[in-house]
Amino acid sequence: MRRVVVTGIGVVSPLGHSADQVFEAARAGRSAIRRLDTSFARRLVSPIAATVQFDGADHFEPAKLRKLDRVSQFALVAAKRALADSGDVLSVADCQRAGVFLGTGMGGINTIDDGYQTLYGENSDRIKPFMILMGMHNAPAAWIGIEHGFAGPNLTYSTACSSSSVAIGEAWLRLASGDLELALAGGAEAPLSLGSLKAWEALRTVASIDEADPSASCKPFSSNRSGMVLGEGAAMVLLEPWDRAVERGATIYGEITGYGLTTDTGHITRPGIEGQAQAMRAALRSAAIDALAVDAINAHGTGTPANDGVETAAIKAVFGNRAAAIPISATKALHGHLLGASAALELVLSLMAIRHSVALPTMHLQVPDPACDLDYVANEARSDVTIRTMLSNSFAFGGTNAVLAFRGGAVRK
Amino acid sequence: MATTYDWLRATLIKEYSLDPDKLVADAPLEDLGIDSLGIAELLFNVEDEFGIVLPPEAVQLPTVGDVVRFIDELILTQKGHVDSLNPVAPLQP
Repeated sequence: MRRVVVTGIGVVSPLGHSADQVFEAARAGRSAIRRLDTSFARRLVSPIAATVQFDGADHFEPAKLRKLDRVSQFALVAAKRALADSGDVLSVADCQRAGVFLGTGMGGINTIDDGYQTLYGENSDRIKPFMILMGMHNAPAAWIGIEHGFAGPNLTYSTACSSSSVAIGEAWLRLASGDLELALAGGAEAPLSLGSLKAWEALRTVASIDEADPSASCKPFSSNRSGMVLGEGAAMVLLEPWDRAVERGATIYGEITGYGLTTDTGHITRPGIEGQAQAMRAALRSAAIDALAVDAINAHGTGTPANDGVETAAIKAVFGNRAAAIPISATKALHGHLLGASAALELVLSLMAIRHSVALPTMHLQVPDPACDLDYVANEARSDVTIRTMLSNSFAFGGTNAVLAFRGGAVRK
Repeated sequence: MATTYDWLRATLIKEYSLDPDKLVADAPLEDLGIDSLGIAELLFNVEDEFGIVLPPEAVQLPTVGDVVRFIDELILTQKGHVDSLNPVAPLQP
């Protein structure tokens, strides 16, 4: 297996538009969750979300913009930023062996919502000609392949909240095996249409708004947590073989070292301790490390009553007595749940945390929960933490548990 | 007064940022950067602009002039006349 490293990062996120911006916002505990001021906010029970400051017209010509759902706009900009960040990789890469691996849970839901509004809301048959190509889940990845000429595999993974963890893990496998020379991997999500928000509300997974401080509505691992808060955005990383990255003098953010994937077979939404624990064990096996090597964990940490207790129990099942000594960060309290893009953004945050020797805070952990009794780095970042290796958990409706293992950029052969 | 050709030229210049000097009747649409998707979008707008209904199947319209002739034939069939100086007003929803 070849070693595979991250040499480019591109983000379009509620916390900012670069790796440095999102890291600094997370370190400072600045939440991007806001009360929504859209025209349909009054129809929402809990009108909160983490939105991105973004205007597609700043990035695309009108004729192209008309073909792009918001999710594809995010993906294209994030991919372009990742490539720009990577230096001159395209001058040395074989694009026939370059792939795009992208996760998205909701795909072009804004376009689908608009189309249904025309069809059912306005009782009109005037469906716009681009609805299919804008709404299809593989549009974001396809556009990236077209824009940059990546002619290898172009794959879209839709495993709900673990989609981009799967995308990055599968890309890593292809690179590690030698199949590919280059990959753009990550996720994109734009789930803040009325139809999508109402559907999530109907599932009763969305947090109640914190009237005193809407930005604190998502409270992972806190006893008074009431659910997740949706967010939007994209994060893409450029993956390439370690030896070539070194040869061309690239900045190495970190090395992907393992990937675990399991499925809960008990229920379509209810998380399972065993499935989550097995995914973490699988990531450790894949990385050829034991549990003692893990210095920190990025939690799935959605802030839903169901997830956080189960995830805590799963971490205890894997790490035993040592679990309480591992800093665990749940950054969704700040950037919301970007669904299919969450894992990619959390990988970026984690790589930056390793680089800066910081354990990122789990904000709004206001009331301890006896069922969540580990070290969640509550409410304040911790500096001077030696972190070499991390795991990042992503657990999904549908039962797809994906865990990435990675280590920092200061790696030597 | 605008003709179908004038409307098409104005639309292509506005929506596709095309160079007016290159927009002549026998200019191939592909060469102007208008691919099959662009034509599909264009014809969608034609229905609104001229109040006509296009056949559902794909059509081959290689040049700007072919598009104009296609539109005018549909107007003639569906409206009974083509006033080349006054494009048919769009239907009110």
